[in-house]
Amino acid sequence: MAEAETEARRLATEARDRVRFEEEVLGLADQVFRVARRLVSTREEAEDLVQETYARAFRSWRSYTPGTNLRAWLMRILTNLNIDRGRRQQRAPDMQPMEEGDYFLYNRLEETSGPAAEERIVERLSQDSIVEALANVPHDFRDAIVLVDIGDFSYQEAAQILDVPIGTVMSRLHRGRRILKGELAEAAVGEES
Amino acid sequence: MTASFEPICEKCEELIQPYLDRELSEAERLEAEGHLAGCGYCSERYRFEVSLRQYVRQACCQEEMSPELKAKLASLRTPLDD
Repeated sequence: MAEAETEARRLATEARDRVRFEEEVLGLADQVFRVARRLVSTREEAEDLVQETYARAFRSWRSYTPGTNLRAWLMRILTNLNIDRGRRQQRAPDMQPMEEGDYFLYNRLEETSGPAAEERIVERLSQDSIVEALANVPHDFRDAIVLVDIGDFSYQEAAQILDVPIGTVMSRLHRGRRILKGELAEAAVGEES
Repeated sequence: MTASFEPICEKCEELIQPYLDRELSEAERLEAEGHLAGCGYCSERYRFEVSLRQYVRQACCQEEMSPELKAKLASLRTPLDD
């Protein structure tokens, strides 16, 4: 009798923990969608990816340790699923000229259309061209940019999510942002002419 | 303009991205801030980088999740009597 009671209590606690977990996970859905949307090309793909992520997260809720970083745990499922979906066809990143520094885009925009307040120079880029430029950054680099710049993850969290050393996150970010700026500079020159 | 570009600016350029990411050590952060405070060349470009980050973020976060998808996610929850 006592055993049955203990078991009933255990089940009740588990059900409560699970409900709490599911509510927390659902509360992160907007953030998960924003990251997913930039990791893949189309809205439909992003919606599928988010759905798969949630189905898996709900199924494997026991593997989450309460008190640890739930957002990062969820994002790790998402990035793994995205990699599993076979997204390997892409151009080689070393086709991009890499010799420019971080100030390159500013210098280029200033050169091509004259000086202005730094905050306004950025408006020479259209929002569509930014979305397109990010989509053109090869996946490994884009993943790092999306996690840090859109997902607000630290380098350490991004390293855990992508299962790579922190130095790899840093170099992918560095390179990825330069590729992004290269793409933006090309787009800006295209819009000028 | 590039004539004013000194080796110390090169170092500052390297520090700007991790500075914006709040990933610098205390010593590096102070070094970057000290340089930015006194160097017009780098501080102009720093302000641009700040706006660029915000602009990219704004451009890339415009699409909201549909209410249908939200409802679908909620329906994936385990039924309580399971």
